Amino acid sequence: MKYSSNHMEQYIPAKEFVDTIIIPLIPFHFSADAEMKKLAFQAEVATIFAGEIEKELSGRVMLIPPYYYVKPLEQEVEVKRLNTWVQNMETQPFTNFIFLTFDPAWKKCEKDLTGNLLWFPSIQSGDVHASETHHLITDQVAQVSELIRSFW
Amino acid sequence: MSEKKQQVSRRQFLNYTLTGVGGFMAAGMLVPMLRMAVDPVLQPSTAGDYANVGLSVDDITDTPQRVDWKVDQVDGWYESKVSRSAWVFKDDKNEILALSPVCTHLGCVVSWEGSDNYPNEFFCPCHNGRYEKDGTNIPGTPPLAPLHVYDQKVENGILYLGDAKPR
Ligand code: FES
Repeated sequence: MKYSSNHMEQYIPAKEFVDTIIIPLIPFHFSADAEMKKLAFQAEVATIFAGEIEKELSGRVMLIPPYYYVKPLEQEVEVKRLNTWVQNMETQPFTNFIFLTFDPAWKKCEKDLTGNLLWFPSIQSGDVHASETHHLITDQVAQVSELIRSFW
Repeated sequence: MSEKKQQVSRRQFLNYTLTGVGGFMAAGMLVPMLRMAVDPVLQPSTAGDYANVGLSVDDITDTPQRVDWKVDQVDGWYESKVSRSAWVFKDDKNEILALSPVCTHLGCVVSWEGSDNYPNEFFCPCHNGRYEKDGTNIPGTPPLAPLHVYDQKVENGILYLGDAKPR
């Protein structure tokens, strides 16, 4: 399920079946021209990626709006804020919190996060509409869904 | 006299042209607005269209195989390609059956023999929903309805699928 009004309608009576939250962690910045295109591309891929995982497992996961932050990651601030998100969601019967990211910086503060960090190497650049990108994403989605199922 | 009649003052000229241009602009804005209001009704919906799913009938066996394809979908604000999938096989009567992989419980994607514990069944990983090969939900598991079935047709030995419908 996604954060949309019709999915919320579906979620509320079916709460006990939906125990997993997926939060994409997406960096951006406007401070170096050279990196901007790459980051924007990765953000697009991350969004599609998360959306596809949601489609595979939509009956049990809730994909919430992405967590955006300015790169480079300011660990202390962001971890703290992210954990308050989780705290809020814990008022509902969610038991798994999964963070999806392409940014390796999170690896260093993984242990401070309330939840499981899944880091993936990103496709560096390309065209999100190209069929190669498409195949890469579909492949990865299958594997990641498998991984998420291992938490259940 | 006739000369005088034809004379158009600078102001009039500007007035005419501006009204003309303004009218154009207004029309330019109105037409899409009208279209947005009326179009969904007039437009022959893509529903009911059949898509070539890239599978030749000869390749369909009695083991369900997954096919994926894309259709154009106009969904209110977005016009986009959406992906669709089906499990296709020949049933006992040797007829082609194309089942939607969307679990009728809460919508996860089911797979054929998705669990080692349940051979010869469709399995939903989310809450262990199970279906017989023909798509019938197995009582005692969460799904309360059978998998939906795609409308289908065969042309020149190629399988075309339409919309998935509940049974
Ligand atoms: S979504 Fe398939 S069993 Fe719940």
